[in-house]
Amino acid sequence: MGIMSVFSLPKSISRFFNRNFERWLSKRVPTRNEHQLNSRNIMIYPTRFGLSYLGFVVLVFLLGTNYQNNIILLFSYLLASLFISVMLHSFYNFSQLRFYSRPKQRGYVDDLIYFAIKITTDKTHYDINAHFTDRTLISQSAHLAQCVQGSEEIKLTYKSSKRGRHYLGRVTVFSEYSLGLFKSKTVLDFGHYAIIYPKAKSLITSQFQFSSQPEEPNIESYQTTNSIGTDDFSELKSFVRGESRARTAWKQLAKGQGHYSKHYQASQGQLQWLKLQDMPSNDVETQLAYLSFLIGELTATNQVFGLSLSADISNKSMNIAPNVGFEHQQACLTALALY
Amino acid sequence: MIFFNKKTLSGSIGTAKVNFCLSRQNAWLLWLCQCLNIAVIALELSTWMLAIILLSLAWQALLLHNSRDREKTRKKETTVKHSSQRQHNHLQKQKQKQKQATIVSPIILGIFALIGCLVIAITAREVGILASMVHLLCFSYVLKAFELKARRDFYQLLLLGLFVLVSSLIFRQDLLFSFITLTLLVINLSVLLQFFSSEKNFARDIKVMTIILGQSAMLAVVLFLVFPRLSPFWQMPRAKSAETGLSGTVKPGDIANLSRSTKLAFRADFGQQSIPNYSQLYWRAMVLEDYDGRQWTRIKAAHKNTGKQATSSTFSVNINDSDIVPLNYQVTIEPSFQKYLFALAPAINSTEGYGIRAKNDYTFMSSKIITQAKSYRLSSFLSLPLSLVLSEHSRTVNLNYPQGSNPRLEQMALQLKHIYPDSQARAQAVLSRINKQNYSYTLQPPLLLNNSLDQFFFDTQAGFCVHYASAFTFIMRASGIPARLVTGYLGGEYNGSNNEDEYSEKGHLSIYQYDAHAWSEIWVQDKGWVRVDPTGAVDPERVNSGWSNELLQEQSKLNNELFSLYQMKNIAWLNSLRLQFDILDYQWTRWVIGFNSKQQHNILKQWFGNMASWKFALIIAIALVISMVMLMLFLHFFNRSTLKKQPLSKWQLVYQKVLGKLAKQGIVKPVAMTVNDFSRQVREQYPELAIVFTRLSVSYSYLSYQVLSTDEQLKHTIKIQQQYREFLQILKKQP
Repeated sequence: MGIMSVFSLPKSISRFFNRNFERWLSKRVPTRNEHQLNSRNIMIYPTRFGLSYLGFVVLVFLLGTNYQNNIILLFSYLLASLFISVMLHSFYNFSQLRFYSRPKQRGYVDDLIYFAIKITTDKTHYDINAHFTDRTLISQSAHLAQCVQGSEEIKLTYKSSKRGRHYLGRVTVFSEYSLGLFKSKTVLDFGHYAIIYPKAKSLITSQFQFSSQPEEPNIESYQTTNSIGTDDFSELKSFVRGESRARTAWKQLAKGQGHYSKHYQASQGQLQWLKLQDMPSNDVETQLAYLSFLIGELTATNQVFGLSLSADISNKSMNIAPNVGFEHQQACLTALALY
Repeated sequence: MIFFNKKTLSGSIGTAKVNFCLSRQNAWLLWLCQCLNIAVIALELSTWMLAIILLSLAWQALLLHNSRDREKTRKKETTVKHSSQRQHNHLQKQKQKQKQATIVSPIILGIFALIGCLVIAITAREVGILASMVHLLCFSYVLKAFELKARRDFYQLLLLGLFVLVSSLIFRQDLLFSFITLTLLVINLSVLLQFFSSEKNFARDIKVMTIILGQSAMLAVVLFLVFPRLSPFWQMPRAKSAETGLSGTVKPGDIANLSRSTKLAFRADFGQQSIPNYSQLYWRAMVLEDYDGRQWTRIKAAHKNTGKQATSSTFSVNINDSDIVPLNYQVTIEPSFQKYLFALAPAINSTEGYGIRAKNDYTFMSSKIITQAKSYRLSSFLSLPLSLVLSEHSRTVNLNYPQGSNPRLEQMALQLKHIYPDSQARAQAVLSRINKQNYSYTLQPPLLLNNSLDQFFFDTQAGFCVHYASAFTFIMRASGIPARLVTGYLGGEYNGSNNEDEYSEKGHLSIYQYDAHAWSEIWVQDKGWVRVDPTGAVDPERVNSGWSNELLQEQSKLNNELFSLYQMKNIAWLNSLRLQFDILDYQWTRWVIGFNSKQQHNILKQWFGNMASWKFALIIAIALVISMVMLMLFLHFFNRSTLKKQPLSKWQLVYQKVLGKLAKQGIVKPVAMTVNDFSRQVREQYPELAIVFTRLSVSYSYLSYQVLSTDEQLKHTIKIQQQYREFLQILKKQP
């Protein structure tokens, strides 16, 4: 187990130290979905309390020596050896834990994104804490007071106000179990990254018209005219739990006539393309936000649509062929996030 | 949702400083811990300090109790998680207010602390530096509990508590007390442990902590044995405890008070030698030669004047000359906060350089005040006379008495002088008078006016040893015989095996405070100082075998104790328990409290022989490393052992065997393959086995995945075993 201590060094030295440490760490704890803790990847070092405890033991020893009091000396020896056995206990409490986490999570801007880490153990472990090593991230540490035999899950949250792909770096897992004298710590690399979609910004239907992909000549023949509006409103049904709020008939709700949701008749056979340049704004971010909204709406109503982000149709990553379903939605939103 | 976030925030480590809060159970346990720690040291605290501490603890308890309501509202809060935002804010504000209520304003605390410190500083002169330090420590320990704002404060409080515990050991070190402190250490550390494992119950925490401490004990013992004992780095203020035991001045009635105490005074270990008779065990502590008509005092001036002469006139014996076998023994004295030591006169000090000084009156003095158990070795020559030569100075001192202080006794002394010219016959006459007349020996002597010996000897005629000894000595002096009063202890309780075998005689004498005694010595020409104990004339049992039952009963009546010595001695199992504990305590005192660098050196020498000091250092280092490695290995296996494999059940074994047979035939079951899939595979590859193996597989999956009663399980197990036999038969038929 690597026992290291924290020094306050001048900046240049500490940077050098950090870089080397980073290199050493990546060799020692490589990126993986699953990690098992053992002496290779656990670091144990005394906490501030541990150091003051040592000072306390020395104080007791001085007291015993000065009074030539054997019982006090015995006490100080006992406390000193306790320090060592607590170190070992701390280590054994921490080792043999297995962590599993999926690297990729997706979500909208300003939404909480959860990175679940599954912990599997053969015996009970105590006081497991986890947080992203990079403390500048908007994230909270997770605490697990007790991890019983079997598996438990802790969730790290992440929130961002910027769309895109965010690499979150390593996860620090630590425990101060036993007496808080030692911190057993490990920095695991699950290769966590978050794909943050643009925040959906609602768009009044009339502001926007679907357009076909005119540049595409060999497109299926039934794709004829630009359809007006999303599709045809058919009926109001009373709200069923779990339905999208986007379909709530707010007008009726406001009047106090009850909670209804709007149901649309999907007009099958109409291929629709969402295009970036069709969005009613000059700001790209706003346009993306509108697209994000529309993708959500269309998926909720089960409509076929395609996404075109660039004029160049041959660019596969920027143009997504029309399709339906959740996966299609995710693909489209990812494209928006990475635009 | 927002509340939930806040909650996790407060639980997280990084922000703990902002929102530190102990769990309710933990807070109460911490409070309890404080109470216990204070209780251990309470004897050393003055009353006003105790009052303040109790007040603070009560206040603390009150705050904790009030916080229960807060807890309730918080719980309610979690149940109304869905309530609106505004309500949340309101509750949060309320919570903050209540939180403020539990933390006492720092200004009040500061003023309180300041006043306390001032009072401690003012009284420091009275109670001594050490005591005021202890006061300060306890005071800060109690006050610290009021400002638990961060985790750091919690740690500080715990360390302070441990320090209180340790400093209580300055004052007492006996086995029972050490055990209590150890128990409290476990409790203190368990509270800390509980902070990190709040889901476990406290009893488990105590168990875990005991295990951890037990594991550390090994290393601690090694450290204790081999770590070099250092001499004090600097002078520390000494404990200013009340002196116990005999005092330098004795009035009639003094020792009777001392005799109520059942505390241990010292122990004597005679090793393999036989212990002298009870009536010879006159443990000499002080010789009192100066009588002023009221009380006896030691002469200090004389010692100063004849300082050099005194050392030359101390008892010495040429061992080669005399054919007397010396009686060697070791005395282990309990802290008395005085300087005098005990010896069976005449004795010589057989351990040099222990800060022990022999005096010319055959007593021994320690050069330092005895604040801890201390042991020394002596050799006594009980048959040798004490000081055959009497110096002129000594004669005048020992004949001096205030004229007219006790006229009736003086008159009697003159009469006796005429009747008995021989000094020993004169002494015998006084003793027989005491024996024949109606004198009584009692722990509750009637009060005497001005400590008048006349009144005692002729009127009340009831007293304790000092009464008799001082009256006797007075009579002797008045009749012209040099006489003096000696105080010390008489007898002792033998504790050890009572076998007559010479080899198994391994016991020690315990001498308690109630064994305190006073007797007189008269100087007889050619015989030197002769011990005369007038107590023997009034209560022969006291001198020959110890306290009579009447005295014990009287003592237990006076003491009002739950377990008085009289009861203890009369209930056999209780008495044997007491004696067993006494033996343990003696060994503790001898080997742990009395363990010094000399003993350490001897032990190491015994183990490794004589060697250079660098080799010693090497051995110490190696011992430490080895014990640390052993601790690591031990813990390693300790943690491994929890990974026990569950034993396989019968049907699983059967299935495993079948799989083994099939593997030999070349059909191996991949681990991930299900039982049904595998049986299908077997059917295709090995049609001869198909029916049997399919049946077996069905039984196996039935047993493994169905919830069955024990009867059914048994039935199916038998079935699967049958199927296994069939399977074997078919397999055998195959080429």
